[in-house]
Amino acid sequence: MDVLESPPEARPAVVTGGPRRRRRGSGRLTPYLLSLPTLVVLAGLLAFPLVRMTMLSFQRLTLRDLFTGAAPQWAGFANYTTVLSDGFFWTVVLRTIVVAAICVAVSVLAGLLIALLMHRVSGWVRLAMMVAMMLVWALPQLVATQVFTWLVDTDWGVLNWMLDKLPGVDFSNHSWFVDPVQGWGVIIALVVWGAVPFLAISLYAGLSQVPKELVEAATVDGAGAWQTLRRIKLPILSPLIVVVTTLSVIWDMGLFTQVYIARASKPELDYYSLAVYAYQEAFARSNYSGGSAIAILTVLLVLGVMAFYVRQMFRIGEAD
Amino acid sequence: MKRRIAVAAAVAATLLASAGCGSGGGSNSGSSNPLDGKGKTLKVYLMVDAQSSWKEVVDAASAKFTQDTGAQVTVEYQQWANHLTKLDATLAGNDVPDVIELGNTEASKYVFNGAFADLTGKLSTFDNSGSWLTGLSAPCQSDGKTYCVPYYAGARVLIYRTDLFQQANIKPPTSYDELVAAATKLQQAHASDPKFSAFYMPGKYWYAAMAWVYGAGGQIAKQDGGKWVGTLEQPAAEQGLQKWADLAKQFSKGDPTKDENDQDAVYGQGESAMLYGNGWEVGAVQSQHKDPNDPNSAMVDTKVKDKVAAIPLPGFTAGQGMPTFLGGSILGVAAKSSKKDLAAEWVKDFTSTTSQDALLAKGVLPNATTLLDQAAAVKGSEATALAAKNSWFVPNAPKWADVEKGNVLQQMLVDIVTGKKSVDEAAKVADAAIASTLNG
Amino acid sequence: MVRRRSATLAWNAIGLAFALVMVFPVYWMLATAFKPANEVQTFTPQLVPLHPTLDNFRSVWHAPNFLVDLENSLIITLTSVAIGVVVGFLGALAIARFRFYGRRAIILVILMVQMIPFTALLIPLYLTLNRVQLTNTLPGVILTYLILVLPYTVWMLRGFIVNVPRELDEAAMVDGCTRLQTFYKVILPLTAPGLVAAAIYGFIQTWNEFIIINTLNGASKWNLMAFLAANQTLRGTTWGPLMAGATLTSLPVVIFFLIIQRNVALGLTAGAVKG
Repeated sequence: MDVLESPPEARPAVVTGGPRRRRRGSGRLTPYLLSLPTLVVLAGLLAFPLVRMTMLSFQRLTLRDLFTGAAPQWAGFANYTTVLSDGFFWTVVLRTIVVAAICVAVSVLAGLLIALLMHRVSGWVRLAMMVAMMLVWALPQLVATQVFTWLVDTDWGVLNWMLDKLPGVDFSNHSWFVDPVQGWGVIIALVVWGAVPFLAISLYAGLSQVPKELVEAATVDGAGAWQTLRRIKLPILSPLIVVVTTLSVIWDMGLFTQVYIARASKPELDYYSLAVYAYQEAFARSNYSGGSAIAILTVLLVLGVMAFYVRQMFRIGEAD
Repeated sequence: MKRRIAVAAAVAATLLASAGCGSGGGSNSGSSNPLDGKGKTLKVYLMVDAQSSWKEVVDAASAKFTQDTGAQVTVEYQQWANHLTKLDATLAGNDVPDVIELGNTEASKYVFNGAFADLTGKLSTFDNSGSWLTGLSAPCQSDGKTYCVPYYAGARVLIYRTDLFQQANIKPPTSYDELVAAATKLQQAHASDPKFSAFYMPGKYWYAAMAWVYGAGGQIAKQDGGKWVGTLEQPAAEQGLQKWADLAKQFSKGDPTKDENDQDAVYGQGESAMLYGNGWEVGAVQSQHKDPNDPNSAMVDTKVKDKVAAIPLPGFTAGQGMPTFLGGSILGVAAKSSKKDLAAEWVKDFTSTTSQDALLAKGVLPNATTLLDQAAAVKGSEATALAAKNSWFVPNAPKWADVEKGNVLQQMLVDIVTGKKSVDEAAKVADAAIASTLNG
Repeated sequence: MVRRRSATLAWNAIGLAFALVMVFPVYWMLATAFKPANEVQTFTPQLVPLHPTLDNFRSVWHAPNFLVDLENSLIITLTSVAIGVVVGFLGALAIARFRFYGRRAIILVILMVQMIPFTALLIPLYLTLNRVQLTNTLPGVILTYLILVLPYTVWMLRGFIVNVPRELDEAAMVDGCTRLQTFYKVILPLTAPGLVAAAIYGFIQTWNEFIIINTLNGASKWNLMAFLAANQTLRGTTWGPLMAGATLTSLPVVIFFLIIQRNVALGLTAGAVKG
């Protein structure tokens, strides 16, 4: 998922105060009528396919079934047992978690540091940083990935050429994707690069709302920069940090575009993330049922994090 | 070759019998003349090559077709990248194209799975159908019936720099040992250039690597008692892989994780001496369209203009070329098409001898052996036509396309060239993956 | 004081370095797009396009399907955003202003939906659309994109609507406004910034999507992103035209972003920190 596709941050309950009076008799049906179109769209385009996907994961849909419209055979839990007993699946699970953890940790930390930095620099530098980040943020994920692929290309890439200029370094013909550690390094850099603007700008805005008086009072009391950060700024910022971190976890666990496009739509096994695995299984190996099973397992895996996020947001939605 | 087809056909027979498929080619519902196409529009999926290189041949065939039948034709040009994924989705629907082009290695998946209409009854109406190249027609056959029509072929040759060979005082190699000797000499002569490849060979170039396998007497997979078995771990195949990997490691600075997609551009930089490429790449390395999206734009010369020549790649046995992969395309009529007769008619026009002759001029090979000799007479196609006489083809298994899409061979080659696995380890992994994919 | 200034100087240097690193890939995209072909694919790249040219832009502009896909992009994006915002606004109004049976369930569904990996839904989505003959059509994609736009629009607008004090509605009603009038005269104007923000997010999301449309539709029914994603020919990627296409395709998104820059930051963060 792109940072651009982020839902808005948590908005705390707006305390309207005073007892809420409801006008009676203006039609109990109104809320249902209002939400009907939303529900119809969600049911038709989401619930139905979702049910089908779940069914698919318990079936064996062959290409022949797909072409001829024949009903697929039921397979019971066969797809799940195949996937779960495959060591490669667990490798991919572990890899996805590790990569996501690194991406989230680095990007949230970098976002926070940049946000703090923005409070230290002169106005024009801040503007330059803002503009740079806005450009990056605005760049579509696909384009960003293609640009990175172009930067690190073995033969034509400017990165190798620049590194090669460094004395004593030989980077001509260096292939960044031979060693998966380096390859993932590039992909993580791309993810972080794309995520930092959203994080830094959100956190910067969050920091701006820390009351000046508090910071001043602390400084008068002899607190250093580090202490003000730890004791005042971070606690105030923490609800925001929790939300952006949770969102980052959800996006980074679903890592797809960056890998798939960077590996020219033909990812090597070393570059499989769970989302790529499900896609390749379904669309490259025509194993739609197996792919569906992996997709459902992926959702289950992130469900814990999702539940946490949903609960946070749900509370807000409930409270208003 | 013949034997393998027979076995495959037998398997297909059982497959098809159980599924009760086969949609009967010329089933038209009672209308008096099935070829009366007034008011109808035929939808054709061709690959992008036709658009960039021989659009006028397509247009001419369509014009003749429209004149004969009154039906219109719309051609949609497809990109190779991921086209099968989209095609699968399209074929699952009801709004299917009437005619579909596929790479010949992709065809069997669709033939076996009932995506194409049976054209056996019309076989004799297609020009040259008696002498179609087996590499193209074999994947079209199943259960003794024919489900698609060969369109064009391609063969790979050794492209080399005449000037560099002259400078180093080497003659074009006639045996594999000579080739290695030449490469060694060239690499030494250009030791100071870090980008210099005596033989540019990207790591995922499996059409090349498999030529070495077949050249050494190996093969990718074979059928054993109704089951497919990967045979890359057999000694002959491993020997071929080893020789290919030695060459790639010693003489190529190419990215081991790249495929052959941009090898012409790399070669065009003038810092590679040899290249294994399609017949048309002899031209592509020397000049490119100024505007890659406009086939009518002027040509821009690269650094190797007029400095290259092509010969069949010498093989391990003296006097024998390395068997080349016989690539190419086929045309099928969708089983779900409502205009099968018209579609077959268009295919007939587009694969006629007239069309084939026009294609020859574009540097590709024709679909029939009878036309190969003509191709050899076309300037620039001599080496390709010669190379095509000794060719290999991928296992004719219904699920072969999934091995390709699953990057099984590419993965193996990358593992070998980067030294992550030994030839034997990598081949065993690939064999297992091939077996599970083909039998799955 | 001097120390303070030199510290600021150091921070400024770091800040600028960061900005440069961030912006370099974007710069390189532009630089590549303006280079002639022989300076794009060369073993010794040039940092600055010495012979700037519009060739790449011309090439991609005339590339098969570019204009068609541009038109598709506009149609798909505008329609799905328009429908999404209208439908979403109604839904948001319901959950923000009314207490009713099933409200919690709706909120839950809307939140969950945003987490579902759409790549996994492709095949069932295809089968579903196919059943109603909507594959390889623009309306099919527009409908599909509603699930990208809608949940999130509802959620965002909900936040804006609850920020309009209920007392305002009630005051208006006391003044004799009908519910509909209250809606027009109070809620709509006060949530206008939210509508703009939601529309723009929806725009960006649908504009940037390529995986679904690439699978559902053929090249003549693609959007620009899918066009870009497929820009790898048999003869290798043509990087010059690709980067030109990427520039053109990103342009609307970037412009929107820069115009509403302040709103974006605010819309995303306002209220997340209790001041």
